[in-house]
Amino acid sequence: MTTAQPAADSSRRRQWARRLLLIYAVGVLLFVYVPPTYMLLISFNPGLLPHLPSLSHLSVKWYSILFSEERMIAAFKASVVTGIATALITTVLAVLASLAYLRSVNRSLLFNTVVFPMFVPGVIQGLSLAIVFKLPNIIPSLWTITAGHILWALPFAFIVILTSMSALRGSLIEAAQDLGASNWQTFRDIIFPLVSPGITSAALFAFLLSFNEYSRAYFLVGGQDTLPIYMFGAMNAGTSPTIYALAGTILIVSFLGIGAALLALNVRQRRAA
Amino acid sequence: MVAEASQRVNPIRRGGVAASPAAAGLGGPGLYLALPTYVIVVVLAVAPLALLVFWSFWRYDPATYWIKPDLSFDAYQTIVSSGRLAVIIKTARIAVTTTALALVLAYPIAYFMHRLAGARLRMLLSLLFLVPFFTSYIVRTFAWRLILGRLGLVNTALQALGVIQRPVEWLLFDEFAVQVGLLASYLPFMIFPILLSMTRIEGSVLEASEDLGASAWQTLRHVVIPLTTPGIFAGSLFVFVMALGSSVEVQFLGGAAESMIAIMITDVMRVLNFPLAFAISTLVLALLILLLVIGNRYLGLSELFRSVSR
Repeated sequence: MTTAQPAADSSRRRQWARRLLLIYAVGVLLFVYVPPTYMLLISFNPGLLPHLPSLSHLSVKWYSILFSEERMIAAFKASVVTGIATALITTVLAVLASLAYLRSVNRSLLFNTVVFPMFVPGVIQGLSLAIVFKLPNIIPSLWTITAGHILWALPFAFIVILTSMSALRGSLIEAAQDLGASNWQTFRDIIFPLVSPGITSAALFAFLLSFNEYSRAYFLVGGQDTLPIYMFGAMNAGTSPTIYALAGTILIVSFLGIGAALLALNVRQRRAA
Repeated sequence: MVAEASQRVNPIRRGGVAASPAAAGLGGPGLYLALPTYVIVVVLAVAPLALLVFWSFWRYDPATYWIKPDLSFDAYQTIVSSGRLAVIIKTARIAVTTTALALVLAYPIAYFMHRLAGARLRMLLSLLFLVPFFTSYIVRTFAWRLILGRLGLVNTALQALGVIQRPVEWLLFDEFAVQVGLLASYLPFMIFPILLSMTRIEGSVLEASEDLGASAWQTLRHVVIPLTTPGIFAGSLFVFVMALGSSVEVQFLGGAAESMIAIMITDVMRVLNFPLAFAISTLVLALLILLLVIGNRYLGLSELFRSVSR
């Protein structure tokens, strides 16, 4: 009886802590989510000033003006191309590195190598790449930007694929090899099907990281701007509400990409269950 | 006493080191699989950075608009004599403030997600805090301009409530706005490493602490926080690096007089003072590498990350 009272007390206190922290977490989420949401709403306001639109006056006016701007379309295309190139190269590298990691060659060296570029500020990374490309006189293009973006996307892609590979059971691989499968067959028939949702989402994440990257591209950009570089210029210079539509477009593309990536991961979980 | 027990068990050191189950089956060295990654990182990251450090000791050559070999510390002297050191120190101060605020804000959330939230709520919160990683920081930062501006959400809300008569001007274009923007951009980078280090604490350690009569608060202070120092350090390092290298936040939200390291580097490059830009970058890199080495040696940083693959 004497111990029951403090136990009840502590469980009640736990309840309170839970409630308070939940409210707190929601508050922090609002801090992160309110600004982009607010801007998304403003992008549907037909007026010139950044006010919230009234529900009866929602308009895609600025979006239609935006999509008739040729420079914006060209920058959008450039970002899509760069994003796809980054996603393809990064994903292949990340899959190979993850397989190597599972075979436990000097793990911490491999991990630290992959993660290292995450700890280098983007401007400095971009600057150092730009001066190296200057040596053999490589002309800045979407490829030089891709080179910078790979470094940014690789650690994320590696961690996503590694996490999805940790669900692999060693017994499956042993069984395949006991039955005479070659390394390639083991990968193609056992590992890849199980890990492919992880690979898909890693590729989508790599695409988005590239699509939205500004500081690494700054020194590497050639004649054709990427979308973030175009957007930075437009936002810094302009007062035209098309920038809200541009920001809105980018948010919507990102949300769709994230949704697709999460859907891919969810498929894996359901298949695993 | 509780702290002693946790030190003896030290679950952070355990696990993660053992080879994954798949490793046994695959066998053989996989160096050729890792080779492309090593080559890419060395060629695109390590070598260019090393070259940048090396070239910071060269001298600008007006004849070629490029640099020529030398062993000169001029660039470093210029950093001090031209008042650029003040910008570096100020940037570091802002980055430290952002890091400290992010830590204070993020820790309770990570604790809540790990200890108090159910599986579904934890999943939902993880997703919501993951999304900002993959959305444009330019867009998110620009959005703060609309929140803090004259016609922004804060001003219109305060006016509607009758708290203020005229729009408040000090919200935007000063260090306050920069700090808010940085915090909103990089907070999620703090949450996940801490959460990761919390999941590595074995439940038995917490039970032991409670069985020995520690309150939830005592368990947090003497067991959970000491055992999550690798996560705290990793998260702090992430946020610090991001904030130290940030430029968009200052350009969109800071006043005309505000500068940061990244802006200074681009300005210096614009006037073709290459060695100076390289020297500033070298100082920043030296600081970051020092922090990484300390983190690895004393806080088991790579151990923490290794648990990702468990």
